[in-house]
Amino acid sequence: MNLQNITLEKWMTVGRWLRRRAEAVTAALLLIMFLCFILTIVARYVFNYPLGWTEEASMMAWIWCTLWGAAFVLRERDEVRFDIFYSSVSEKTRCVFTVITGIAAILLFAIALPAVFSYVTFLKVEKTAYLGIRLDYLYSIYVVFSVAVIVRYVALVWFALRGRAPDIQIGAGSAL
Amino acid sequence: MTSPFAFCIYAILGLGLLGLPIGYSMITGSILYLLLAGLDLGTSAEQILNGLYSSYVLLAVPLFLFSAELMNVSKMTDQLLRFCDMLVGRFRGGLGHINIVQSIIFAGMSGSAIADLAATGRISIDMMTRNNRYPLSYAAAVTAASAVIGPIIPPSIPMVLYALISDTSVGYLFLGGVIPGLLMALAQMVINTVQAHRHDYPVEPPIPLREWPCITWVAMPALLMPVILLGGIYSGVMTPTEAAAVAAAYAFLVGAVWYRNISVKDTYKAVLNSSRSTASIGMLIAGALVFNYVVTIEQIPVTVKGLLAGYDLSPNMFLFWVNVILLVLGCLLEGSTIILVILPIFIPTAKALGIDLVHFGVIAVFNIMIGLVTPPYGLLLFIITAISGAPLRHIIRDTMPFVLAMVVALFIITYVPDTVLWLPRMMGYKG
Repeated sequence: MNLQNITLEKWMTVGRWLRRRAEAVTAALLLIMFLCFILTIVARYVFNYPLGWTEEASMMAWIWCTLWGAAFVLRERDEVRFDIFYSSVSEKTRCVFTVITGIAAILLFAIALPAVFSYVTFLKVEKTAYLGIRLDYLYSIYVVFSVAVIVRYVALVWFALRGRAPDIQIGAGSAL
Repeated sequence: MTSPFAFCIYAILGLGLLGLPIGYSMITGSILYLLLAGLDLGTSAEQILNGLYSSYVLLAVPLFLFSAELMNVSKMTDQLLRFCDMLVGRFRGGLGHINIVQSIIFAGMSGSAIADLAATGRISIDMMTRNNRYPLSYAAAVTAASAVIGPIIPPSIPMVLYALISDTSVGYLFLGGVIPGLLMALAQMVINTVQAHRHDYPVEPPIPLREWPCITWVAMPALLMPVILLGGIYSGVMTPTEAAAVAAAYAFLVGAVWYRNISVKDTYKAVLNSSRSTASIGMLIAGALVFNYVVTIEQIPVTVKGLLAGYDLSPNMFLFWVNVILLVLGCLLEGSTIILVILPIFIPTAKALGIDLVHFGVIAVFNIMIGLVTPPYGLLLFIITAISGAPLRHIIRDTMPFVLAMVVALFIITYVPDTVLWLPRMMGYKG
């Protein structure tokens, strides 16, 4: 094994470790959503004490779970896509597709990034109703998500240019 | 067509066709629109974030996904088969009927057809094909077709998505799905009976009456689930979203306390799987939120309405064409994409034509669910092929009679609105 392979192997181990930590975060967020609901119901019926902050906390967990998950946990094969066409062409054609769609996504997400950033930072004066969390903190996950999308598509385009198209799985990700 | 909106549509269609995930296609296309129209690009973030943050009802989606995962690991559905055998096993084609009745009960517990298939597919097929009693492809066809009932009988994830885009009450939509769901099951049982007589499929030995109480008792935890859920929602004790959380808590308790077969590892896996699905459906919703904003500022609904006014369309004709279009799209597209992207275009017209939006929603969901078993793109067909190992084309051949029967049922609920609206009206719906 040459040095380059060892380095690659090392990076992949780090990557897998990071992904498992990222997965744990989405899992925790889903649990928070669930527990907030149970707490709301118990507080209302058992203690006759309606809670407001639980609803807010579950909404926050939902936004973060979606965008964090999309940024760091979902793999290409977990995404909902129109795959009839993509799955029926050769690997080479898929690479061409990936380069085209990847560049479009990179360009447009990158062009929007400054405006997205200023929208989020503009909200620093606003706070959520119950927990008083600054809205720019809450919404910052969208900036993180945008950057992650750009980085991910740069990587996918880079691999596609070297002849490796992402694997997909037909019918993945549907909630129906 | 060189307007910004036209480019937005080209981009979404083009990128989507070339395999970019649908959510990203919609976000990218909408950013292109904002750019060309000279609007603030930050609007994309604003629409997505505020849209996600203000749609409380959407939280039902991850929670129903979670409860379905928990029901899977707790194996509470395994106990249902014997109960269904007791009810319908002694009729011709008994195991097919058992399969369908089990789907009805499961439909009252879960909001997802895929969950139904994942939970019961394997054992249903094993049961039917043991000793070569039924051909593998037929067993797979019945299992896939009956899973379609899941999201029509409440609870239902697609109806939650429809409620989001149409501003209708989830509770009334759920109620509206009850009779159509039973009608769909009836249509499938008719086909099963016909096929069973044609191919001389076997009958199950009747279960003696004295065993009934015991069998019912063992199946009780699963049987109670629909009662708790629907009873809770319609007595006003909990919202449909809260009911989703209660369903998950209940499934967990049943697995952990009653059957004692849920481990910490299983639970983590269930949480992880559902959070992953949450992110993936959440991206689709995010894309739909920003795209629907574009559609709104372009006043597309008004334009469509104007176009249709020229055709002097009657409500019945409109519903006919919507059904045809949705059935065709259902063969090609994933269902939640149709609900979130295509339906918003029809809803203003339906409203203008005086069509009740609960009725319309149930028709649309019913239709789109049929799309889960129509080739070439039938999600449940792919999953059942993977589970059963039967050739896809044989499964498709055996599913077709069921599809035809479901289409007949679809046109019945379309042109007899009372099949949908009677129950919600009994419960106080003023539509």
